[in-house]
Amino acid sequence: MPQSSREIVKRCLTFNFPERIPRDLWILPWAKIHHPQAVAEITRRFPNDIVTTDYSGSPSSLGKSDRYKVGYFTDEWGCVFRNILEGAIGEVETPVLQDIADWKSIKPPYELLPTDTNKAYDTISRFYDQTDRFVLANCCPRPWERYQFLRGAENAMIDMMMPDDGPVELMKVIHDFYLKELEFWVKSDVDAVWFMDDWGAQDRLLIQPSLWRELFKPLYRDYCDLAKAYDKFVFMHSDGNISDIFEDLVEVGIDAVNSQLFCMDMAELAKRVKGKITFWGEIDRQFILPSEDTQAGREAVRKVVSHLHSQSGGIIAQLEFGLMANPDTVVAVLEEWDGK
Amino acid sequence: MKGQDGAAEITRQLLEAGVSADDVLRKALMVGMNNIGDKFGRGEAFIPELLIAARAMNASMEHLKPYFDSGEVQHKGSIILGTVAGDLHDIGKNIVRMVLEGDGWKAIDLGSNVPTEKFTDALKEHPCSIVGISALLTTTMVNMEATVREIKEEIPNTRVFIGGAPLTQAFSDKINADGYFPDPHSFAKYISSDK
Repeated sequence: MPQSSREIVKRCLTFNFPERIPRDLWILPWAKIHHPQAVAEITRRFPNDIVTTDYSGSPSSLGKSDRYKVGYFTDEWGCVFRNILEGAIGEVETPVLQDIADWKSIKPPYELLPTDTNKAYDTISRFYDQTDRFVLANCCPRPWERYQFLRGAENAMIDMMMPDDGPVELMKVIHDFYLKELEFWVKSDVDAVWFMDDWGAQDRLLIQPSLWRELFKPLYRDYCDLAKAYDKFVFMHSDGNISDIFEDLVEVGIDAVNSQLFCMDMAELAKRVKGKITFWGEIDRQFILPSEDTQAGREAVRKVVSHLHSQSGGIIAQLEFGLMANPDTVVAVLEEWDGK
Repeated sequence: MKGQDGAAEITRQLLEAGVSADDVLRKALMVGMNNIGDKFGRGEAFIPELLIAARAMNASMEHLKPYFDSGEVQHKGSIILGTVAGDLHDIGKNIVRMVLEGDGWKAIDLGSNVPTEKFTDALKEHPCSIVGISALLTTTMVNMEATVREIKEEIPNTRVFIGGAPLTQAFSDKINADGYFPDPHSFAKYISSDK
């Protein structure tokens, strides 16, 4: 009897010999706007094994306007983003928290949490029961990114060098909200929760690894401990070169990490953590996926497989059909993954 | 460092003690910036350290501004900076600006998502300036090609340099820019030695 999508993903995460490499294609709004036919064809040919549950929390009056339209939009925390390309979220121009001393003015959007939890859990359970795919929670704690959205990237970086007198308190405000959100989700019918924070620059971590361990590793450990208490898998995404902290991610209990493998030395990563964590993709978004060179896309898959794959699991065939990605290259990558 | 005098206070004290502004700049501030730049180049320092050093340098430069204005201290030259059209990510460009100002350059910062005509207008206002353009994304770095070409067509002999996470010297060569630098300090060293 063939394994279901859910079983394939679970076997992959637990190194228990899935019958094939699970698939997870991320389709960003930009791709849906600019390549609707290609998106339809690709999703028909290469169905995902992983899906996000459709319950998304209570309706909020805080977020204003469409977050993917050109112009300005205000998110649920009051951060104002400027978008200059339809289908892609832009940048915060003017941070709401100009002075860290005013950290008490930040009010997390607790109204997003469900008031009728039983009804919410019923909705999530219905979704779960109707699919054989691996289900991710529809929430995504991002303490560092949220901190940057509130303070601006430059202020946030400098705050990390002087964490007392405000930064630690603000981080706690943010972290407490995300813990509350996760407390809801870990009790629901999902297979995994996930969180994200972009920690890497092109060639190194954004901040000193020792500082990351002191300030942020405990937050992620809290998320993982909570998830594990309810037998949920934990996924994490981070852009950039995060080679320095891979062992830390293993240690806190993350099961699968989505990272920019092509910024890092895959052979070295394999020596250190292969078999201890699942690589949730990816294929290079900077050069390979936007390129018309479909052969380069296929070779990229072969490179990932040669370094990081084993028959017991540890690889999810994840890639992003996002900004400026070439549809033909996306198809070539998916075909190559399917042949493995 | 909490509770201790910062770079701005020490700069003021040195000037009040009769140390020349030029010596404060070249024998103290620029030495410190070079140290942090070298550490960054060796992978021993990270972005927050660069930012803190650059902000300290800028605070000190406020005390040196009157000496630049009077001509007692000369700028090495002027540089026009901006992120390429379509790109809003400006932290890298801001670090470059702070480092270059700390290295004695006059920086004209045009901000982010800068169209070509803003670069050329600034060049007309500040003739003989160098231009520095940054991009974070591979999707926006392609816009650099037209920007570099149009700047050079309208104001020949302008030197245009590029930087940003996904860029390479090969890309710089391809679009006929005058060079790519992976970090602000190697850029500062190059243009200072190439004046």
